[in-house]
Amino acid sequence: MSLTNPPSAATGPGSGSAARTQTLKRSVQAAFEDPADRGIGSTAYQSKVRVIDRYKVVGFISSGTYGRVYKALGRQGQTGEFAIKKFKPDKEGEVVTYTGISQSAVREMALCSELSHPNVIRLVEIILEDKCIFMVFEYAEHDLLQIIHHHTQQPRHPIPPSTIKSIMFQLLNGCQYLHTNWVLHRDLKPANIMVTSSGEVKIGDLGLARLFYKPIHSLFSGDKVVVTIWYRAPELLLGSRHYTPAIDMWAIGCIFAELLSLRPIFKGEEAKMDSKKTVPFQRNQMQKIVDIMGLPTKERWPLLTSMADYSHLTTLQPPLSASHHGHHPHHHYQAQRQAGGGSHLEKWYYNTINQNAGGSGATSLQSLGAEGYKLLAGLLEYDPEKRLTAQAALQHPFFTTGDKVSANCFEGLKMEYPHRKVSQDDNDIRTSSLPGTKRSGLPDDSLVRPGKRMKEG
Amino acid sequence: MAANYWESTQRKHWQFTKDELATMRQNLEDEDPGLVHMFPLPELRYLNIYFNQQINRLGKRLGVRQQAMATAQIYVKRFYTKIEIRRTNPYLLIATAVYLACKMEETPQHIRLVGQEARSLWPGEMHHTNAGETTTKMGECEFWLISEMNSQLIVHQPYRTLTARTPDFSLVPEEVSLAWSIINDHYMTDLPLLYPPHIIALTAILLAVVMLPTPKSAAGGASAANPQVPGLAAAQAALAQIRAGVVPTGTGGNSGSSTPTLTPQSSGGLTMLGENGGGVVGVVDNNGNKVIDPKLAKVQRIGRWLAESNIDIEAMIDCTQELISFYECHEKYNDKHTREQLNRFIKARGL
Repeated sequence: MSLTNPPSAATGPGSGSAARTQTLKRSVQAAFEDPADRGIGSTAYQSKVRVIDRYKVVGFISSGTYGRVYKALGRQGQTGEFAIKKFKPDKEGEVVTYTGISQSAVREMALCSELSHPNVIRLVEIILEDKCIFMVFEYAEHDLLQIIHHHTQQPRHPIPPSTIKSIMFQLLNGCQYLHTNWVLHRDLKPANIMVTSSGEVKIGDLGLARLFYKPIHSLFSGDKVVVTIWYRAPELLLGSRHYTPAIDMWAIGCIFAELLSLRPIFKGEEAKMDSKKTVPFQRNQMQKIVDIMGLPTKERWPLLTSMADYSHLTTLQPPLSASHHGHHPHHHYQAQRQAGGGSHLEKWYYNTINQNAGGSGATSLQSLGAEGYKLLAGLLEYDPEKRLTAQAALQHPFFTTGDKVSANCFEGLKMEYPHRKVSQDDNDIRTSSLPGTKRSGLPDDSLVRPGKRMKEG
Repeated sequence: MAANYWESTQRKHWQFTKDELATMRQNLEDEDPGLVHMFPLPELRYLNIYFNQQINRLGKRLGVRQQAMATAQIYVKRFYTKIEIRRTNPYLLIATAVYLACKMEETPQHIRLVGQEARSLWPGEMHHTNAGETTTKMGECEFWLISEMNSQLIVHQPYRTLTARTPDFSLVPEEVSLAWSIINDHYMTDLPLLYPPHIIALTAILLAVVMLPTPKSAAGGASAANPQVPGLAAAQAALAQIRAGVVPTGTGGNSGSSTPTLTPQSSGGLTMLGENGGGVVGVVDNNGNKVIDPKLAKVQRIGRWLAESNIDIEAMIDCTQELISFYECHEKYNDKHTREQLNRFIKARGL
């Protein structure tokens, strides 16, 4: 229940540098060696494969609560580059012991072993060695957080519309694959969307993903809080107990908006869990959504009133009628506003694509036109039952209007995005606290580490 | 793919032919003939029954859902296709499989709790000095288990097919319940390593429908006169007709007099079969006239569906045969003897 972190807080590359205060630094290769572990009893588990025999680690990429990610090359003729995600073991004092693998690691290992799609990050192998789990993935040079960040650098310039279109199509394609295989990602956000140097989009980090077989599994089993708060669907914010693929689709809508404006569209502040461990209503986040989308109504969202936290809605402020999201009020769009919704989304959209109109013609966001708004509005639909599905979104005229969508999101670009930062230092493997960011709350993992987390009732 | 059986690792890597299974097991024994010689074990089918029961005992104590127990059953089966039993402490493996399956089925249990229950259930066999050591051993065993399974932890179970087909086949609660019990029983056999889950489920459904008496047939003379009507044979006959492209008629069902007798004992499914005395597809009333049996209509409907859906009927026939053999073998099963032989090598080898 680590709800103590700022939302999303950049799990992107290089975010681990802050706590790099350890005096003892070791080479990254050394991170894969743990001499303390050799020579235990004859019955002890020994991996048949040693990760350092198979891979040459060339640098450190990022870290999180689960452990760290390294960049590596194959030593035994494997082609290409790899990202090795190392799950750190728990420690009791100075001795690393087996304490059981966290549920999110188990999920990620199991799901990644089954999945195979060009728009989902490919698992190469898993090595369980020396009380650590090493998940070896294909390497992706970029991610959406990094790409968005690059465009915010002065002079701030929009992501080319052809790139946005290709990213969205590939993202939806990967998501459709997950959903048709009954997998909910549950944590889609720019940092988790990888892009290879050849412009292929790969959905990554399935640590929160779950299967949602309909008849047997009830998708409410205590883990109420999922998805980084800025990308969290309104039905979750209002206390819905039913996860559906629609929560991923909301997140994709938020990502689309962020690709357009280069900043999170609903940048709320996460309310902390109180001492009684009750999950608070995320008022600030919901208000951010209402500011742009208007207050949800039961006319447009019939099941709204049955939401557990519906009563909190009355305490929110309706959006200001005057525009406060841009400098160019477009009065004629106001007239087109859908009745009852009170949504400012259309205004937000046109302000965004006009404001960032740096280039002209095909390089201007204006070329995304009305279909771009319709796709965005379909994804950011309050009612999860009316929200676009991945399949419907892929059929959207947005993708058939204008230039053909390329399978390479960098096609036609004259520039190249900066490469992922890879650091050559690594902290000692035995340091107990790793720098970096944590996930949003995951109560169902709490069972795995009794000493550190609260057991839920 | 995670939810599509046809693209799953289960189909690609964990479905074997009988010959393949036999070869794999022989190879394991050949690795260390001395060990095998020193510690003779009961036949594998008896060990399968024993392991199944131990998993269920632990699962019940922990209040684990059926789905998670079924997954644990599969984990143990998969592991022992790769590792010789005598190299392991089966109780530790069972506890670990239950712990891992609970995580995988989204009903996690704390490792210490699983270890604690295992220690109190098998105090002599989980002989670690303290709870902490049990936890460490289970954590280590989890690595071994996952590694031998190549991290392929998602298991497709027959229960889903049963649930999905229940309305389509208009199954009544008694039929669903019997089919469910037969599915539970199949974990005591090699069937989960041999056939896809939907084949298992459809076989269980057909057996349940064929064996349960309808109110009419129960009142009639046929089953009462012969309390040992071989329901399994009736099911096989029905399948044979489907295979031959004939929708089951009622005549084939009564012909299997050479098939084994079922007696009410032990397993849930078997008890229900025994109590109800099996069933027949066609029914002759007291006056010798054929009556249209609603059960016959149901079997015909299922038969049509199986034919239209291109279901592997051969596989279903073999499943039925395996279940017959299992229920036979179950009668001869000796729990005490099995336990003693297992515990001998655990103790002697300090596992």
